[in-house]
Amino acid sequence: MKSTTNYLRFGLFHRFSHFLIIISFFGLVLTGVPLAFRSYGWARWLYEMFGGYPTAGYIHRICALITFFAAFLHFAFLFVCVSVKKQKGYFWGVDSLLIQPRDIFDIIADIKWFMGIGKRPNFDRWIYWEKFEYLSLMWGTLVMAVTGIILWFPAQFTKIVPVAVASIIDVPSIALIVHRYEAILAAGFIFSIHFFHTHLLPEKMPVDEAIFTGKITEAEFKHERLIQFNRLEKQKDLESFRVAPSSLFVSFLTRLFAVPILITGLIMVGLMFSALLVWAL
Amino acid sequence: MDYKREGSLTMGRLSGPGKYRLIAVFVSAVMAALLPVALFAGDNGPCIDCHTKTDKLKVQEKAKIDPVTGEIRVVSMLVDEAIFKATAHGGSDFFCIDCHQDLDGADLTEGHKPNLKPVDCITFCHDDPAEEYLQSSHVKHMKEKNKDVPTCKDCHAGLTYHYTDLGEKSPRDVPRGTDPLHRKITIDACGSCHTDYLNSYRDNAHGQVTALGHTTTDVPVCFDCHGKHTILNSSEAESKVGKERIIETCGKCHANVGASFVKHIEHPQIKNLNYYKTLLTALKKSGGDPEALKKIILNPQTILCIVFVMYVGILAFTFSAFGVHSLLGWFAIVRDERQRKGHADEEHH
Repeated sequence: MKSTTNYLRFGLFHRFSHFLIIISFFGLVLTGVPLAFRSYGWARWLYEMFGGYPTAGYIHRICALITFFAAFLHFAFLFVCVSVKKQKGYFWGVDSLLIQPRDIFDIIADIKWFMGIGKRPNFDRWIYWEKFEYLSLMWGTLVMAVTGIILWFPAQFTKIVPVAVASIIDVPSIALIVHRYEAILAAGFIFSIHFFHTHLLPEKMPVDEAIFTGKITEAEFKHERLIQFNRLEKQKDLESFRVAPSSLFVSFLTRLFAVPILITGLIMVGLMFSALLVWAL
Repeated sequence: MDYKREGSLTMGRLSGPGKYRLIAVFVSAVMAALLPVALFAGDNGPCIDCHTKTDKLKVQEKAKIDPVTGEIRVVSMLVDEAIFKATAHGGSDFFCIDCHQDLDGADLTEGHKPNLKPVDCITFCHDDPAEEYLQSSHVKHMKEKNKDVPTCKDCHAGLTYHYTDLGEKSPRDVPRGTDPLHRKITIDACGSCHTDYLNSYRDNAHGQVTALGHTTTDVPVCFDCHGKHTILNSSEAESKVGKERIIETCGKCHANVGASFVKHIEHPQIKNLNYYKTLLTALKKSGGDPEALKKIILNPQTILCIVFVMYVGILAFTFSAFGVHSLLGWFAIVRDERQRKGHADEEHH
């Protein structure tokens, strides 16, 4: 074991939330994507793997309920922190996941670094693309949940739509199109952009363990989020985040869980992308 | 046409022919008491006894001329009982002799006579569907517009599933209406002419499930909504998908549907290039007239197309922007690492 100083980046609640989302997201994608790519052999195979119709649909709905549960937990957590514990900084400041003015400067600095005309910028607790991923998860979950419920209960839902509206705006059909392409957007984004920009970075390969063990080394902390590190050090808060390094066993377990999931996601995005190529060519 | 009645192939027997069959059963029963080795309605035993066994069957293959094409084929006289039982005519209340009526009461001691009359499906049993078919929009098209429309044999004899491996193409093995493979084949049969409708059906909730190979009766194929023999254009009052009957049609599967539910677009044109072309032409024609524009845009198909195009745009933008961002980030990290290594090497020297 490396004798390094470790800090806690993600608490148990956030690690558990991420785990719940992994389970439900993969369940949803593996049972839903075959419908969107229905004309390909792999889609049929995958659909049959999950029991075909209607079993795959039941799994899809159960995973949707897990997603709703995760979303409920998230907002309950936020509510408790903001309204009950009266904690500040959730909507504004360095700890907020909402877009802040300094993110604009971070983006410019990052682009300069990409171009080779600047040094790698230093970030605070949340980097702009992490914020974008968080916000798109929120938006995506909302869109998928609303359209999914409409598709789940089309007869009941259309009861509340006046006939005059329904003959112009076909809500279930719009829900189906939005649900399908928002799903392709979400699955494609997570399996390519999120994977390659978080877990499969040259310096992280194959997995960024922080979201599973919660811990990062001091070197990683300084390399990725120097501003936060310096701020905490200045405020003399740093020590309160200090934790014992994760054992090799925990590290191994993390990889045992994460690597097959990453591979599954990469295969899925590969199949989806190849389908797009086949269609385009 | 109601589904149950259409699905069952016994309807002909309820009317005229039923009478004959009753008489036949009665006469056969009387004969059964007199002749030990004779063929009777009400029992497939004597037929199966020989027609499933290669050692017992004297004539195992025969040449057959197709009455329509004149094509000559060698067909096997062997019957696979299991396959036959699963077919529309394989029920326990249905017998070989019902179709091969000229064998009624035949003496089997020396084997029955070799040449049977061709089986007549329509005269005795299936006269109703033929009558219904004549009322359909298909026939109307043929009469009024001289269009080449499908007739009985285009749908019923053209299906290779009617033939089995063992019986080497025997029209005997007509599948049931509820048979998943049969239902699947009907989608392709309709789709072979109605290409655009097949494609748009595939884009909808029902069609995407059948595309994955699931075609049992819990997901509708074309004929579940449009009917079988009496397919009528949706503008006609009697049509299953017309204003009058659409709630009833959707209601067969969806409990408690209302007037808004049936406004659903079952055939979205989102991937039909021709639809976009007509939209553009209509837009050009309108010349910016607000009334005309309103009419074009306030159309459920147009709105679906707008949503679809919007999503294609979002997908293209997101993946290209973030794809480039991720790639550049990757390269920058690798570049930094190399530079650091380079510095370390220099110091080392």
